[in-house]
Amino acid sequence: MAGFEKKDAGPALPSIVLGAAVLVFLIVAPFVLSNYWLRVLTSILMYGIVAQGLNIIVGYTGYHAFGNSVFFGIGAYSTGVGMALGLPFGLALALTVPVAVVVAVMVGWPLLRLSGHYFAIATVALNMAMMEMVINVGGITGGAQGLALPINPMGPAMLYKIIYLVMLLILAGATATVYWLDRGSLGYALRALRDSEQGAQVMGINTTAMKIMAWAASGSFTALAGGVWAYWFTFIEPSSAFDINISIKGYVMMLMGGLGTVFGPLIGAAFLELFATIIWGKFLKIHLLILGMLIVLVVTLMPQGLLHHLRWFKRRGKPKEVIR
Amino acid sequence: MDMLFQTIINGLLLGGLYATATIGFSMVWGVMGVINLAHGAFIMIGAYVGYWAFAHFGLDPFLTIPLSMAVLFVIGYLLQELLLNRVMRTSLLLSLILTFGLDMFFINVVILLFSSDFHSVNTSYTGSSLKVGTAFIPYVRLLTFTFALILAGGFYLFLRRTRAGHAILATALDKETARLMAINPSRVYSLTFGAGAALAGAAGSLASMLFPISPIMGREFIGAVFVITVLGGIGSVEGCVLAGLLYGLIQALASLVLGVSYQNIVAFIIFLLILVLRPQGLFGKRFYGEIS
Repeated sequence: MAGFEKKDAGPALPSIVLGAAVLVFLIVAPFVLSNYWLRVLTSILMYGIVAQGLNIIVGYTGYHAFGNSVFFGIGAYSTGVGMALGLPFGLALALTVPVAVVVAVMVGWPLLRLSGHYFAIATVALNMAMMEMVINVGGITGGAQGLALPINPMGPAMLYKIIYLVMLLILAGATATVYWLDRGSLGYALRALRDSEQGAQVMGINTTAMKIMAWAASGSFTALAGGVWAYWFTFIEPSSAFDINISIKGYVMMLMGGLGTVFGPLIGAAFLELFATIIWGKFLKIHLLILGMLIVLVVTLMPQGLLHHLRWFKRRGKPKEVIR
Repeated sequence: MDMLFQTIINGLLLGGLYATATIGFSMVWGVMGVINLAHGAFIMIGAYVGYWAFAHFGLDPFLTIPLSMAVLFVIGYLLQELLLNRVMRTSLLLSLILTFGLDMFFINVVILLFSSDFHSVNTSYTGSSLKVGTAFIPYVRLLTFTFALILAGGFYLFLRRTRAGHAILATALDKETARLMAINPSRVYSLTFGAGAALAGAAGSLASMLFPISPIMGREFIGAVFVITVLGGIGSVEGCVLAGLLYGLIQALASLVLGVSYQNIVAFIIFLLILVLRPQGLFGKRFYGEIS
């Protein structure tokens, strides 16, 4: 259990073996799984990215970006519009990153000065405002009617494999970023900021720049997920691209797995998405009810997340880290 | 000119209803720092109570207000007692997630009970209106406006004149001192949440006469509720009323000048501006929500 005692000692052997097995499975999956399960797995990866993106701004920076789905929509629309203008998918997708960063910097400058609840609901309002904006702009975005992306000539079977692999790549990038945050000095700075903004300022941390950077990183990954989603579904409309449920689901996944941990959001995403898929199929009429009850249970019984509880059994007696 | 006059009246009348729909949400936020995303569901349940009583017993929705309030008070009180009080001890922001889960739950329950079809309540006086100068004021809107303001005034008096109201205000201002004065904060929280839900229920009964009734009708209210809460200052009843009227007016004028599709954009832009420039709200003072 050495790996759990000291953070710097690196992961323990069982964790490495388990991690490697999961990685091998994820890489082989598109070539062995049926289309249905590939779809489920792709959506797990997509929500994994959303949850990991939230983890950066919520778990590590302490800013509850409840409406982070705004970046999902921005990513979906900048990819969609880019492709409608004739750009290839890869380029259009890559361009979502600068777009997300510009939005995060421009909007984050005033919004990230707000604290707690105010920031949380301001992001919700931002999401709504962006959605209305896309509806009203019309033109190349298709407005309320939605936007159809160019169909890829290679056929769906191949396309879905590629979509899956791109999602996997982005998720790996997001997880690597979080891992780096968890260990590196930037992560210490962010966590100092999370626990006391004034304290962090006294220690010479430029908190404004840090917060904006964290949100830009969070937004970029979320936007990439949105961009791939747009090409995956090939038809986007404002209400589904800026669906607040996307970030709320990501939020619950992050909480379930454990916020502020490297792999927690991934575990949460896999668990909740599989669960949702099963109840969606079995209980068509009451799946919202079950999902709602699950959320209530998670929040009331294990607000620290699954990962925390798994670990807590292993090192009993350690005081619980209180989340804010 | 006539059009403008009519628009202003329509906006103000609707604004009164929005104000009452907001007060409970604003109080819950102001007193205990909980952003209750299930507030829209409470309004929706209130509307369904009104619809149910109207469809089965022919009761006028105005008469079902006490019933809606009672049903929602019980729901709200129990939710706070059983669930929210537990979560508040760990993290207030978890309440966002928790109440969202509750919102999903309630919407699904209502779909099971009433299906997801749209319903409406048509009373004998639904179509008739009062003519004032060149403008027409539908009786239903005038009555809902009046009832909404009566409810708001009643709640204001409840807070200022009764012991329970004083306990709520005291807990909002200083929880620890309130505890020393033999006030049990958990009990006060349950009472506040129950009362907030009851007001939402009353607003829902009123709304059942003006809007199509559907399980997701609350989602359309919650946007207005957010804007009015922040505009009026969190936890302020009088702020809610003023902000509600202002919001109704702005919405009506925006749709007249810019077109209906710009209504929401205008609302959200005002909301963001208020948050950034004057987070205590136009009429508010610093309150619980500000500190936490």
